[in-house]
Formats: sequence, C-alpha cells, structure tokens
Amino acid sequence: MKRTVVFISLLVAVSLVLAGCGGGSKAANHLAAIKQAGTIKVGTSADYPPFESVDASGNKVGFDIELMTEIAKRLDVKLEWVDMPFDSLIAAVQEGKIDASISAFNYSEERDQTIDFSDAYYTSEDAFTVAEGFTGAIVAPQDVAAFKVGVQTGTTQDSWLTDTLVADGALPEENLFRYDRVDQAMLDLKNGRIDVMMSDYVPAQALAKQLGGLEIVYHGVLSSGPINIVIPDADAELQQAINAIIKQLQDEGFIDQLAVKYFAE
Amino acid sequence: MMGNFFSYILQGTAITVGVTLVALPFGFTLGLLMALVHTYRGTILNRAAAGYSLLMRGVPPIVLLFILYFILSGKLVNLSPFWAGSLSLGIVSSAYQMEILRGALLAVGGGQMTAARAIGMSRLQSIRHIILPQALRLAIPPWSNEASIVLKDSSLVYALGVPEILRRAQQLSATTQQPFLAYGTAALIYFVLVFATNRLLDYLSERTKLPSHP
Repeated sequence: MKRTVVFISLLVAVSLVLAGCGGGSKAANHLAAIKQAGTIKVGTSADYPPFESVDASGNKVGFDIELMTEIAKRLDVKLEWVDMPFDSLIAAVQEGKIDASISAFNYSEERDQTIDFSDAYYTSEDAFTVAEGFTGAIVAPQDVAAFKVGVQTGTTQDSWLTDTLVADGALPEENLFRYDRVDQAMLDLKNGRIDVMMSDYVPAQALAKQLGGLEIVYHGVLSSGPINIVIPDADAELQQAINAIIKQLQDEGFIDQLAVKYFAE
Repeated sequence: MMGNFFSYILQGTAITVGVTLVALPFGFTLGLLMALVHTYRGTILNRAAAGYSLLMRGVPPIVLLFILYFILSGKLVNLSPFWAGSLSLGIVSSAYQMEILRGALLAVGGGQMTAARAIGMSRLQSIRHIILPQALRLAIPPWSNEASIVLKDSSLVYALGVPEILRRAQQLSATTQQPFLAYGTAALIYFVLVFATNRLLDYLSERTKLPSHP
C-alpha cells in the first residue's frame, strides 16, 4: 500500500514537472483554438433522461443534447460528443480532454474551485421519491433522516445529505446509499431496498412515470438550483461566448420550448 | 426497435476485442521480459522486476487508467482514450503475466539449463531453444485465465469514455428501463467471447503438448 502511495505521488510529481516544461505553439486562447479546429468536444454522461440519454439506435437525445447542438451551431463549429461516466466529466474538462461539458451540472462552490460555469440555462429542483405504499411521513426535508436514503454519487444532492443530515448525526452514514446512477437507485427504491430517493425533480418525474409504483412526496430547491455548462477554469472567452448564446436562446424562447418538449408531463 | 437495441450493444464488441488485443500482447511482451530478467538476471535487475510486479499488482487498474489518461497523456504523448485504456490494462496485466511466466520458467527446472550450457550453448541460446519452448507450453493453461480476466477488465475503459459493451448496456438500461435485458445481453456477449478464448487456448495447449509433460 505504502509503495502504491509513493509510486503515485512520484508519477504525479514527474507529470507536474513535465507539464511545467511543456508549452509550444497554441492559438491565442481556448475559444480561438476551438474555432480554428472547427470542432468543439463536449462531454456528457448519456444515461440521465430526459436531460441526456441514447435512444435504441445509439443516437444522443435529450434537453441538454438539443441545447448544446444549437449552441455549437451558433458558435459556428461542429459538435463532437464525448460520452463519459458523470464522475469522469469534471476531471476531463480540467485536464483539457474535452472543451466543455453539459450534463445537468448544478453549481456548487466545490466544483467552482477547479472549473468554471456558464450562466444558468435552467433551474432545477430536488425531489424525494418513495415507493407507493410508503407509510412514513415526509413533511420537511429533514424528515428523511429517519429512513434509508438513496442518492447518486457526486451529485449536489449527495453533498447536501452528507453536509447537513449526516454531518450533524441525524442520518447515520450506513443509512445513506450512494448509487452510480439514478435509475439504478429508483429500481432499488421500487424493490424496497431503500425508503426514499433524493434526486433532481425532472428526472425523478420521468422515472416515476416510466417505472410506475413510485411517488414524489416533496420537491423544492435544497441543493440543486440553476444548472450550467461546465467550462475550463478561467476561460473567459469561451465563457462569454457561451453565455451570450444562452442569453439569446432564452430571449428567443428556445429554451422554454425545449423545457416543454422534454419536461412537460 | 429491438433489433437496434441488440445491435447497439453488439457494436461495442469490436472495441472490447480491440482493447483486449492490444492489452494482452503488450502485457505478454512486457511480462515475458520481466519474467526472464527476474529469473536469470543479477540482484539489481531481479529486484527491480520484483518491485515492478508488486507495484503493478498493488495498484487498482482504474487508478492506473486515470493516471495515464488524465495526468500523463497530453504531456508526454497524446494518447486517445482507447490507447490510454488499453495500454494501462496491458501494464497491469504484464505484472500478472510475469508471475505466470516466471512460474513456467521455474517449472522447467535448473538441470535443463546446466545441460544446455554443458553442450556449449550460450545462456541466451539455452533460454531461446531449450527453456522457452517448454515454459511457454506450460504457461498456456494459467495464461488462459489471465486472458479471460483481461477480456472482462476491458470494460474499465468506459471510465474514459470508450463506448464498449458495458457502457452501451448502461446507456440502454437508463433509456429503456430494461436493465435485465441490457445487462443480460452484455453478459451473453462476454460469455461467448470468454468461452471462445478459453476453447481456443485449450486446443492450443492440447496441440502443443509434449509427451514428457502429460
């Protein structure tokens, strides 16, 4: 174990040194480089309907997908999708493997330290979902502490539960179940392995409808709020360009139309 | 629609097989080199090879994958997710293959080397013409284990965004809410691949068997 740690720190140290030596010819800024290449590489985790998913033929579909397609069109570049698990996306933006990422990212201060956000393009709420026949009472959000709670790893809901309920001892750590994906958690909820699932409101509605036997007992803004496109840290040009387009799309009613198309019940 | 469902997952097979076909031979070459060094070389190189094996078997493959792709790649050489993933898996596998091959080299026995040297062969010649032909045959059965492990571990490259079988199954499970069907399809494809690999290696092992090693 110790060897492993030493080895990893060595590798990191070496790579940092090499990074320092690097450099070479580059376009004036990231936005110019994207325009020069004519392609923007955008990461997403296509397993989160209705924001992003694949249809049975493997085409990417969803609210974020259609929005980003329009943004790329207005940036006058081709859009190249890179599909990754949600956990890998921020690292990929940080290391410059992708130019930006759209995957229903909520703003959070922790995330803001390593990457930047565009202006919000949509505001999301949190929801608590239970299986039909659930007998407990959830009136205030804090009431979930009495039950077995499920959440998706690395989401703002995960931080909210950990920082508020687990930190002050109301929710025992062993009663918080972290899942890779929301749909897996919802299946466990339906099968009775957990009592309550905390997630974004919109996907919760979609899943409840699709899976059946589930019921949303509470929704409101606790952890989530505005969702944004993730861009590299201190990348002012790309940020301004994307923000300007988001503003246009909001003014034109494009985003509202998308919301009706994907989120309406 | 159902036809598309299966063909979308099936398309991942090419990537899974591709990753395996890079990782296994790369791991074999590196592993064989390390095994020879460890068995026949002096203290320093010997220790280095032993350390390498210990290290690589101690690091979870996913950690190596992340280091190679997110931290190193782009600074030294620019590796695509496919290559970064395949080479990381090859490096991890090389440590296991080294141990398999080392076991096989030792199983041949020291007497053979002494005998080969006695009839005037150099060390290198003895290894090439006497030791290796026997050792490689002996290594096939345990090596077929490693081959199926690498084949299944190839699913790890999904963490870098390479759309192999498992990632495609995940996506369709999320879209269609039919996890059993999606993961069942993936499991079936993996089973067929591993089964075919093992049968092929069994056949190879049978064909190359020496009369002296029943």
